Amino acid sequence: MIHHGSRNIFSSRHRHVLSEMVRLKSRYLLCEVCVSDRSNLLLLDDRAIYTAAKAAVARAHGDYGAALSSLGFSVKYLNAHTGIVFLRCRKSHYRLIWSALPFITSLENRGQRVPCFLNCLHVGGTIRTCQKFLVRYNTQQLHRMLPLCQSEAERSEIRQSVLSCTLQKEADDGDEEEEYE
Amino acid sequence: MAVFMDLNITYTTDKKRLRSVIETAAHLGYSTVAINYVVDLQQKKQEIGKPKCVLELFDTFPIVQGKSRPIKVLNRLTVVASDPSHFAACMTFDVDIICVAVTEKQPFFFKRSPVNGAIERGVFFEISYTPAIRDSTMRRYTIANAISLMETCKGKNVIVTSGAEKPLELRGPYDIANLVLLFGLSEGDGKAAISTNCRAVHLHGEMRKTALGIVHSMKNEQPLTERQEEEDVPASKRAKIEMAQ
Repeated sequence: MIHHGSRNIFSSRHRHVLSEMVRLKSRYLLCEVCVSDRSNLLLLDDRAIYTAAKAAVARAHGDYGAALSSLGFSVKYLNAHTGIVFLRCRKSHYRLIWSALPFITSLENRGQRVPCFLNCLHVGGTIRTCQKFLVRYNTQQLHRMLPLCQSEAERSEIRQSVLSCTLQKEADDGDEEEEYE
Repeated sequence: MAVFMDLNITYTTDKKRLRSVIETAAHLGYSTVAINYVVDLQQKKQEIGKPKCVLELFDTFPIVQGKSRPIKVLNRLTVVASDPSHFAACMTFDVDIICVAVTEKQPFFFKRSPVNGAIERGVFFEISYTPAIRDSTMRRYTIANAISLMETCKGKNVIVTSGAEKPLELRGPYDIANLVLLFGLSEGDGKAAISTNCRAVHLHGEMRKTALGIVHSMKNEQPLTERQEEEDVPASKRAKIEMAQ
């Protein structure tokens, strides 16, 4: 009897623990780093953006901001050639961090200051939605560059890249969103 | 995507810099910008700089990011008021925009009656965000002035513009819409402040020029008078009064 009872108690406790699992939702800010001189872009790395963003949040929102940005804030991806960066924040306070990003005026890397600003293109709940947006955005960029082409060879190159723009199915979708507490 | 407008780009005599500012604005997604010429009547012998024809700047205007149309460039005139009579400016002056100077902490608070009178007339209040980006003390004054303005006008009839002199001082429209949450605007008001309200200002200016929308001036096709017509047709001027201290 007691054995049977204890098994029941155990199973109900187990169910109780399962229902308490909370899903940590994040927001991914897709930003573009804009510089006046494109060659400076190659100097950037994700640590520079991370420290600049944390400093800007601390300046704009004080200790509260600094505390919030230490929770779940990270630079997920940086492409130094195009200047695209993915920032990940918690859903509960991504707006606070986002509101401090316009105050970034320069990035520092190994003693060199690069004057720039961050332009937020898209906010998504998962990396995949941001990637889909990025594909559409890059297609638009190529369309914008088409009239500026000097030679026919460049034009056909651009046309080719536009037609081949697809989101490849990646096997490692492991770097996607959800986290379970 | 809504039409985003940035109605305050400081005029510089350096054409190349002006051109790069406008190109950056097009890249960020602004469909329309306005070049701002400032006139301070307190200084003696100040000539009113003749606004340059916008066609001189570009052969082909840069295409706006996300749209297929080129960016539209307007001209705008700012007059610095000699006597900052807040009440008179709101109720009587024939202006489109009233600039809230963010460079100093305003010693007075915005009174509700002239602000409401201005809202009824269709005059808009402008907050500029570039001083906040440049300097920390400016940031405090900007936020303080903006919040006190929002309290009186309840978020209506507000536009947010840059005052960009360099291309790196511009910010994207979604960033600005988020930034104005700090000023106390709601989300919807914030987006309106950079899109629909700016369009309303533009139309208000057009209305003043064309006598309430009844009279339109058309460009004369005859070659003899063409040069004369070019002087007033491309520029769309709006006057605004700055609350100088």
